[in-house]
This record gives sequence, structure tokens and C-alpha cells, in this order.
Amino acid sequence: MSHVSNTHDGGPTYLWLAAIPFSFFLALAWGLTRFPLPWHFDAQWVPSLALSLAFRIDGLSAQMLALITGIGTGIFVYASGYLAHEPRRGRLFLVLLLFMLAMIGAVTADNLILLFLFWELTSLTSFLLVGFNHGDTHARAAARQALLVTMGGGLALLGGMLLLGQMAGTWSLSGVVAAGPSLVTDPRLPWALVLVLLGAFTKSAQFPFHFWLPNAMSAPTPVSAYLHSATMVKLGIYLMARLDPAFNNLLLWETMLIGVGTFTAVWAAVMALRERDLKRILAYSTVSALGTLTLLIGLPSPDAGLAVVAFLFAHALYKAPLFMVAGNIDHATGTRIIDHLMGLRRAMPWTAAAAVLAGLSMAGLPLSFGFVAKDLISIAKTESEVIALVSYATVLVNAIAIAVAGVAAVRVFWGPPEPTHGQVREVSWRMFIPPLVIVLLAVEFDFFPTFADPLLIEAARSISPQLGQVDLEASYNFDILLSATGITAVIGLLFFLSWDHLHKALHRIHWLDRYGPAALYEYLLHGLSRVAAWQTRRLQHGRLSGYLRLTLAALLVMGAGTWALTNTRMALNTQWPPQAWAWTVACVLMVTGAGAALFLRERLALLMASGLIGYGSAALFLFAGAPDLAFTQFAVETVLVVVAASVLPRYGPTPEQQEPWRLSNLALAGAAGVGTFFILANLAALPVHPELAEWFAQHSLADAHGRNVVNVIIVDFRALDTLGEIAVVAFSLLAAVPLLAGLKERRMP
Amino acid sequence: MSPRSTLLEYAARPLYWIMLAFALWILLRGHNEPGGGFIGGLVAVAGSSMLATVLGTKAARRWQPLAPLTLAMAGVGLAMLSGLAGAVAGFPFLTHRWANSGLSTVMLFDLGVFCAVWGALTGYIYALMDDDDGEIAP
Repeated sequence: MSHVSNTHDGGPTYLWLAAIPFSFFLALAWGLTRFPLPWHFDAQWVPSLALSLAFRIDGLSAQMLALITGIGTGIFVYASGYLAHEPRRGRLFLVLLLFMLAMIGAVTADNLILLFLFWELTSLTSFLLVGFNHGDTHARAAARQALLVTMGGGLALLGGMLLLGQMAGTWSLSGVVAAGPSLVTDPRLPWALVLVLLGAFTKSAQFPFHFWLPNAMSAPTPVSAYLHSATMVKLGIYLMARLDPAFNNLLLWETMLIGVGTFTAVWAAVMALRERDLKRILAYSTVSALGTLTLLIGLPSPDAGLAVVAFLFAHALYKAPLFMVAGNIDHATGTRIIDHLMGLRRAMPWTAAAAVLAGLSMAGLPLSFGFVAKDLISIAKTESEVIALVSYATVLVNAIAIAVAGVAAVRVFWGPPEPTHGQVREVSWRMFIPPLVIVLLAVEFDFFPTFADPLLIEAARSISPQLGQVDLEASYNFDILLSATGITAVIGLLFFLSWDHLHKALHRIHWLDRYGPAALYEYLLHGLSRVAAWQTRRLQHGRLSGYLRLTLAALLVMGAGTWALTNTRMALNTQWPPQAWAWTVACVLMVTGAGAALFLRERLALLMASGLIGYGSAALFLFAGAPDLAFTQFAVETVLVVVAASVLPRYGPTPEQQEPWRLSNLALAGAAGVGTFFILANLAALPVHPELAEWFAQHSLADAHGRNVVNVIIVDFRALDTLGEIAVVAFSLLAAVPLLAGLKERRMP
Repeated sequence: MSPRSTLLEYAARPLYWIMLAFALWILLRGHNEPGGGFIGGLVAVAGSSMLATVLGTKAARRWQPLAPLTLAMAGVGLAMLSGLAGAVAGFPFLTHRWANSGLSTVMLFDLGVFCAVWGALTGYIYALMDDDDGEIAP
């Protein structure tokens, strides 16, 4: 039965890590039986930014937490088997764990900014997980795509959050929801909602941003089962459900959710028919389910909330196992293309059992939790009087879901075994127990509703507060339901039987590949790199004189512009300063250096001339009352001249060709000199505010025990700035080391 | 490679230690007189680059306590660590603490600046000067 129980390399399987989500799950279950929801936790973090560690757990959060930790337990067990032969599995487990913590934070955060932080953290960890096989070009591209799409949406989300927070006058999520109805008259509300929805749509893979999800299937299967079916993609749904009580009555909200949701559901369902890869088929059906969830949230009826949470729950409980089943098949046979898979039930009986049970639930057939969910969905729709088109669309979506369930659960396991798969064996117990347990739980929830129903009803109340007393079982209306299920089932069966024909017909529509949103994404990405290449060629040409010309010209324009706008007066101080001889010497040094640089040709001589300018200005600082600055300048000049003098000869003799004298350069240089003079003269005319200088002088010794005000400012008063500066200095070296190594290679071929 | 100077080769190492001592002195006096971590670090860089010029980068690396990148990162870490002392005591990050003996976290912070400057700049300089034909054994 289980032939792989240990790792390939004798390293740890990390099975014990499953104890972490499992203990969270048990703690949650224990808490739910003891303490009434909602739970609060609030701690200050950065009060000046209105950022607090505020957490609030109500029914919806608790339901998401149950999914994250419960399915997470299964995923960790599964991954310990799936990755037994992967030498870098420790890294995957670490990121998976980080992802789980980020998810827990995201569904419990009650501060808008905090929610955003956790939201982005899930995107970031998802990037690392999708790109786990970083040797694979497709995996890298898919990871980048998922990151760009979801982080782009995240940026919109941040904008929307900031607007919402400003309008509501509070940064608490529950506060915004409570203030929601009073914001309807605010002209900024539509913008805020569109931005927030952009974030939610990208995260939950709604059309036209859905394409990243099927591509993200290059991730290892535990990741697909966890992030891309059960948890992360539900985050957008969670946010919409969270905000729904506040904005449900808005036409904009309702239209966008129902419109985008319906279209996504249908589009993805049809696209699923175009795929042959089991995981990609499941991915498209996930997108379709996410569309259905979005649509359900948009429905105004109070029962819609119940439908949302029931379907959310049911979907997670069947889709994660189905992904694991796909992973098992891939593991055992080496392929996920459904044409090459048949009759696996004898070889993989446990996986087949899990697949059938999950498939039942996905198809929404009786005896499964999916049945309850489908039932609630149809009730919500009849109550909401949705337009007929949406109803037809749902029938189509459900029918294709049945067909997908048939393909994933029946087609690959039934029929005669493929002769090439003679030696296929059932996978390790770590890989078939988790899906089996999860689907059995789902069946159990159907027969013994007391376990899950209170939580679901509590969660539904978070979405539809006006929901009355409900009993999930009592809502069964068998006559309507069975006929509706029957019609859908018949259509679904037809789709299933004609899958290959439909696939061929749809596959022939090539313009879908050429003009879809995914193609647009590629076009934009290439456009971005083309623009970057163009502007780099224009600006980063590598000619120092060109850089200098541009810098000086820009400086002149800015200076002249400021002067014209502010119209300040110049102040020319014609008095000699004390120690005028020293100032004169310093100036003579600088002028000599600059003048020599004009006529010198040899690089080393030029270096000395520039060193002269540096020493001259250092001397000027010294006598103008800035000894620390002078000291630093002396040290920098010395190091620069010494190092450059020893490095320059390695680059050969000074090249013969020099830039010729140009009148334009002369004019620019002259103008820059005169302009700088005018800028300084204007600066001198500005009133000097001595408060800061006086404050530092007074507090330096008293508060910071130092007489050198400059150094006290550097290390104490503005220590954070200094910390940032030295960090930049140190990290710049990290970036420069490979560049300089490349330079060395070029120098010594 | 440029011709060797025997005089410099013999004087280089004593000179280096003198410069390093000078750098440390600048670092320590910085709180009350002109000086401090930045300037001290730069003087140490001058010493190291002098050593690298005369005896080669290998020798310069050998007489530095840590590899340049490590030294730079250690400096940043030291500066952050000095700020944590205040945070642990309940003050905002980087609030400096003073002991009665005159020792303080400011010193630690300045030492961090010193190491960051010394490590980072020598890292650049050695990378620029590294050359297999330029190596001169001490």
C-alpha cells in the first residue's frame, strides 16, 4: 500500500509541521465552543500612522480560519509525502507556514492598513511558492505573472482602503462597514469601491484578471491545493463579503459583482473545456466557482449570505481534495493529461475513493455538502429576482461543473487500464489520507449538521446581518430542488459524454489565445521592457560628458525657474571674513585645480587636479566653522586619489582621442558657474532661522552628553537617518560585488 | 605593475597600524571633539587602501578583522542592536542609554557606523584593485 514512507535523501519529512495548523485548528474549535463571537484583540503599533494591531474574529473570520487551519493540516501532511523526494522541501515548508500565518492575519485583521499588509504578504509568499521550481522558465513566468497581477490589484486596494478610511474617519474595518450606509452620498465612494473591487477581483481571479490562476498551476500540487483552491483566492471573496453589508444597496456594487461574477463563472467554465491538463481544468473550474461566489455576494437577498458561506465551505472541501487527487495521479503516472489516463481505480483505490466523494460534492449531487450549497444558491437566486440571463448562466456553469467532476473523478479512474501504466501503484498514505479525510468530513457535515451549521450561520450573519433564524436542513424544498438538479445533471452528463468533441471544437478557436487578457498582459509586459530599453539607451549612454551636460542643464533650469517664481533678492556680502587669508588660499587651490583640469590630458594628472579642488573645499569648510565636514572631505579626497591612482594604470594609457573643444560646452559650463553663484547669493538673502541650531546647541550636552553637536546629531538626535544611510552604504556593496566581478572579467579576458 | 618601493613595503604595515589607531582615536573622541564613526571609518579605509596599494589586496584583507561585506553588515547590525537597548527599556527605537561609567549605546552605534563605512568602502576598493598580476607577497 504505502511503499514510500521515508524520504529519498534520509532527511526529515517535516510531517510534524502539520501539528502547527492542527493545534491552531483545535484551539479555534475549543474557543468556538467556549466563548461567543466576535473576539477582539487590539494593541498599538504605530499610533502616529493610525496603524494598530487590531484583530476581530466574527463568524466569517472563524469560518475562514477553520478552512485555513483545517485544510492546512491536510496540506502539510500531504506535502510531507508529495515532497519526500524534493531536496529543497524545507524551504517550501517554511514559505507555506509563512503563507498560513499571513492568511490568518488577513482574515482576522480589523485595521485597514494591517489587512493590506497581510494581503500583500500572501501575494509575496504565493510568488515564492509558485516559482518554487525556479529552474523552470514557465514556473518563473507564472510566478511573476501572479505577483504582478495580484500586487497591481493590491496597489488599487491600498488606494481604495485609504479613501474608505478617510471617508469613514476610522481605520477599523468593522468601523468602515458600520459607517458604510452613511457614505453613499460621498462623491469619492464610487472611486473607493472600484479600487477595492480591483484588488478583490485580481486576488480572486475574476475576469479579466483570471489568467494568472491557471498559469499558477506550475506550482507544486500542495501549493495549488492550498493557495489556489481553498484559501488565498478566497481572500478577495472574503473582503467583498466583509464589505457587503455596508454597500449591498448600491447599484454600482450590485452591478459590478453580479456582472463580473456571472461573466467570470461562464467564461472560466467554458475555458475549462479547452484544457487537457487535469490541474488546469480544475483551475478553470475554481475560477468559475469564484465567479459564482462573487455573483452570490452581489445578490441583495438575506439568504445570499448563507449561500455564500455554504458554497465557500463546500468548494474548499471538494476542490482541495480534487487537486490532491490530481497530484497523486501525476505522482503515480507521471502525467496529468487526461487523454493518457484511464482505469486507475484498481491501481489507486484510495485516491479513487477520495476522487469520487469529492466529485459528488462538486457535482452537487445528493448525499454531499455540495448539494446543500447548491440548494441554498437556488433559494438565494429565486428570492433575489435576478435577471433570467444570470439564471441560465448558472445552469450552464453547474452543468460544466458536473462534467469537470466527471472528468476528474470518473473518467480517469474508470474504463480499461492503459497498458502503459501497468506498474502504477497507489501513493504513500500521507498523500491519500488527507483528501479522503477532508471529503469524509464534508459528507459528515451533510449528515450531522450540528458540527458545522452553527458556524456557517454565524458566518452568514456577518454578511447578511438581517438573516433570521435558519435551519439549513429545513430549507430543503425537494420538489423544486430535485427537478432543478435533474435538469442540470442531464445537461452536465451530456457535456461529460461529449467532452472530447467540445474540447476539439473549442480548441480550434485560436483567436482566444491571441486576443485574450493573457495576451494583453504579455503585450504590456514586453512593452514595458521595450520602453525601459529605449530610455536606457537614450539616457544611460555611458558618456560621462553627456551625463554632466544633462545634470548641469537641469540644475540651471531648476535654479532659473525657482528664481523667476520666487523673485528673491540677492545679498552680496562684501565684507572680508575673519581669517580671510585662509579663505583666499582655499579659493586659489580650487581655482588652480579647476584651471589645470581644463588643459591637462593625462588621466593621473587630471586626478591630481580634481584632488586639489577637493582639498581646497575641505580647507574652506575648516575655516568656515565646519571641522567635521572638513575632516570627512579630507579623508574622502585622500582615499579617492590613492585608490584611483593605483587603479587607473590598470586600464592602460590615457586614450589618445579626446573630446574636442566645443563652444556649447564652454557656454554651459560658464552658465553653470555663474548660475551657481547666483543661487548662493540668493540663498544668503533668505532669512536664517536659528531656532533649530540653538535647540541642538542647548540640548546636545544636556540631553545627549556630547559637546560635538554634529556628531550628536548624527548618532543620537537623527540616529534613524544615520542607520538608514549606513544600511544603504552596506547594501550598495552587496549589489556592486557582482557588477565589479563582471568588470574584472572584462578587464582580463 | 608599477615598480616596487622597498621603503614603502617595509613601512606599510607599521603605518597601517598607526592609521588604524588614529582612526579609533577619532572614533572615540567624536562625541566631544571633531570626529566620529564616519570620519574614523574613512581614515581606516585610507589605511586599508594604502596597504592594498603597497602590499596587494590579499594582505589588506588579512589585516582586517572581518571580510569587507561581513564587516559592513556587522556594522549595520551593531547600530540596530544599539537601538534595541532603548526599545527594550520601553523607549522608542534608537533612544540611547547611558551607564554611570560613561559607557553608552551611542558608542556602540558609532562603532557600527565605523564598521559599516570601513567594510563597505574597502569592499568596493578591493573589488576595483583585485588583480592576479598585481599581487605582491608581503
